[in-house]
Amino acid sequence: MKLKDFMTTNLEYIRPDATVYDAIERMVDRRIRSLVILPQADGAGHGVITARDVVCKVLAQGMDPATVRVADIASMPLLCMDGEKSLRDAALTMAENNVARVFICDGDKILGMVSLLDAMQGTLVSRARGGNV
Amino acid sequence: MFKALFSHGKKERRTLENLRKHVKLLSSACDVLRRALETEDRGLAVTVIDMEREGDAIRREIMANIHEGAFLPYLRPNLYRFAEIIDEVFDLVEDAARYYEDLELHETLREDCRRIAVLSSEMSEMLCLTFETMLEGGDLREKTLALRIYEKKVDDIKFELLRKLKGVQVKDFWEGKTLSDFVDSLVRVSDVIEDASDALDIIHVSMG
Repeated sequence: MKLKDFMTTNLEYIRPDATVYDAIERMVDRRIRSLVILPQADGAGHGVITARDVVCKVLAQGMDPATVRVADIASMPLLCMDGEKSLRDAALTMAENNVARVFICDGDKILGMVSLLDAMQGTLVSRARGGNV
Repeated sequence: MFKALFSHGKKERRTLENLRKHVKLLSSACDVLRRALETEDRGLAVTVIDMEREGDAIRREIMANIHEGAFLPYLRPNLYRFAEIIDEVFDLVEDAARYYEDLELHETLREDCRRIAVLSSEMSEMLCLTFETMLEGGDLREKTLALRIYEKKVDDIKFELLRKLKGVQVKDFWEGKTLSDFVDSLVRVSDVIEDASDALDIIHVSMG
């Protein structure tokens, strides 16, 4: 199965100068685990902030989420893949880079995201179709 | 158990062969709808409409076979119910194709509609595999899980699509209605395929 067919396109964006507290609020409200950070300046790339970043880099360190900017703890650049690649390619990329999500990009444009859960579900579908896992 | 029960008698074999044809034809119809959306070839709608008619004839034959006494009485309603649900999916695919024939899909909706058509087509293929597995007496668990995963994916896209739909400008009431009816038919295909999978599960359980 191609990534472009299985990806999640409903992405949430946040400004780089927003606080981690704003990000937490957004993630809780939308029941999601990551936010895409808009480019800081023209020509700059997107970033991503995840619930893991919030917990490990801010809360566990005893820092105040209301004073830390999302851009300061974000992962940049995004790990991008071609939408024509397979879910297995995405699973391998995630394993090699120890990340929980990859982004499907067309140049500078983000088309969607494939998460660990998507990779897991795709694997189950492949198995059911009798394909190699 | 399945093979033993299903391989008896001419009527049973004919019914099963028709059910198989019905599901395979549905899968082909979903594939044609997918191609229509991918290539923006509205002419393919005619093929889908023809397939729906053929599917209707097969369903009537299944009904006649069952009416003539194919299978034990307790199995008949479930088998017929399955054929009815497949017919319901055919109607939705046909409706989607007919509405698409008259539509110029807005740019913001095209990709989501294409993805739903791709996932629905793959779902219908999976339904074929599930049906064959049931006939062979195999375990349906992996197949039905895959069908639920597909349906969940379509559901996720559906809400995003409905949100985008609200922002689309239409010329008049009829264009808006056609667009709304098209999206409604397209997103319901996967829902009803999932119902067909549940019906197969009931047949499977009732044979156990």
